[in-house]
Amino acid sequence: MEALNYTLVNISYIDLLIGLGLIFVAIGMSRWQKLMLEREFAIGALRTLIQLVAIGYILKYIFALDRWYIILITISVMIVIAAITVARRQEKQTKELPYLVGFALTTGSGISVFLVTQVILQVKPWYEPHYLIPLAGMVIGNSMNGATLAVERIDSEIRNKKSEIEACLALGATSKQAASSCIRAAMKASMIPTINSMMVVGIVSLPGIMTGQILSGISPLIAVKYQIIIMYMIAFSVASSSLILTHLRFRRYFTQDHQLIEEAL
Amino acid sequence: MSKIKFELQNVSKSKNGNPILKNINLKFLSGEKHILLGPSGAGKTTLLRLLNRMDDPTSGYILIDEKNIRDIPVTELRRKVGMVFQIPVTFEGTVRDNLMVPYELGIVENPPDENEIKHVLKLSELKVDFLDRKASELSVGEKQRLNIARTLINKPEVLLLDEPTSALDHASAISLLRSISKLNSLTGITVIMVTHQLAHARFFGRQIIQIDNGSILHEGLSEDFFRTHNTLEISI
Repeated sequence: MEALNYTLVNISYIDLLIGLGLIFVAIGMSRWQKLMLEREFAIGALRTLIQLVAIGYILKYIFALDRWYIILITISVMIVIAAITVARRQEKQTKELPYLVGFALTTGSGISVFLVTQVILQVKPWYEPHYLIPLAGMVIGNSMNGATLAVERIDSEIRNKKSEIEACLALGATSKQAASSCIRAAMKASMIPTINSMMVVGIVSLPGIMTGQILSGISPLIAVKYQIIIMYMIAFSVASSSLILTHLRFRRYFTQDHQLIEEAL
Repeated sequence: MSKIKFELQNVSKSKNGNPILKNINLKFLSGEKHILLGPSGAGKTTLLRLLNRMDDPTSGYILIDEKNIRDIPVTELRRKVGMVFQIPVTFEGTVRDNLMVPYELGIVENPPDENEIKHVLKLSELKVDFLDRKASELSVGEKQRLNIARTLINKPEVLLLDEPTSALDHASAISLLRSISKLNSLTGITVIMVTHQLAHARFFGRQIIQIDNGSILHEGLSEDFFRTHNTLEISI
């Protein structure tokens, strides 16, 4: 891989403590302006430190093990946590929701990670953890946000458009036809953040992975190519997981005979 | 004697364990104007919603043209048995866009042509000039007529009306009832309308079905109903 004539400065734990000084300043500002956010800042900073150091060690261990099943288990754990997170954030929590989200995320993220690692990058071995884990993590994380918005929106659309849906059913529409505007609204809501970030990437923000690669000394031209692929992966994964999820979720509001279930609203 | 359009056999409906309709046996005649009359909570709307399977009974059978309604695909049944709700529903766009809803949703294969559009507007007594007006800008009475017109796009054999006049003043209500009567006499469509207003029942209904507390109290011709029942004694 092409690298610049550049050496990455290692960050010591003492350096991290100095960095923590920035948080103390932020806490000071909060106190000065009476924002009452000091506790949140402190907890947030501590969690950042503990969670990231822990994941650093875990990843180091997983990379060292270099076993395909460990990589797949790791990705599966990410999906399970993401599915539970999406389900817990919903006002209407139902038993089947984590499974639906898990299925949607597995399909959307699975296809995009497979295509990129096996068809485009053709990584060797196929489970190369340095590629698979960060790529899957990013795609699952973004799809999780999309899924949260999709479920939230389809639930609220169906609740708020009960009369319109019943009017469509009474005209002879199937439940899918009657809920089609709700499904569309939910899919749009889940995709807009991804589309927006594609619109401004590189202009307003430099994404994390690209920044990371540049900091590691990799040529910005290589870093942007990775970033482009990642943005496309995320767009595909968000679109397909929200498509699957909305089409599965709306069904809980209807009987097989295209009747709206009042109790489900 | 008119043919029987709907026949309800021992129909009961419960919601959350509470009986709403109790062992109803009832006939609706083809081409007739029926009124389901009763106070709020009597079970009128619940009964109406069973006829196009917006809901299903807990027990009993409903026949349409002597055929169990469950043996007909539900979407086909609903095209045959149109329904207009108490609060009119309009979709975004113009009156024309609203009449295109069955086509846009994929319920019908072909869009209605100009003649069909004008025909349903005429039957609902909505002016043709309204076609390009925003549906949201119509009055409640006009919206209700638009709902009827949209239902007529499917060429239904039965029109179910759930208190269509409840949000209208007296003059607009009578005008709407007159239009529905005219629609019935012009097309022979069977009309079943829910109301709790005696005056509307007397003005519109040929067949009166009085319902209270989930049971049928009276079923028969309007003149018989109003002759045998002192209006002051009817608790509506």
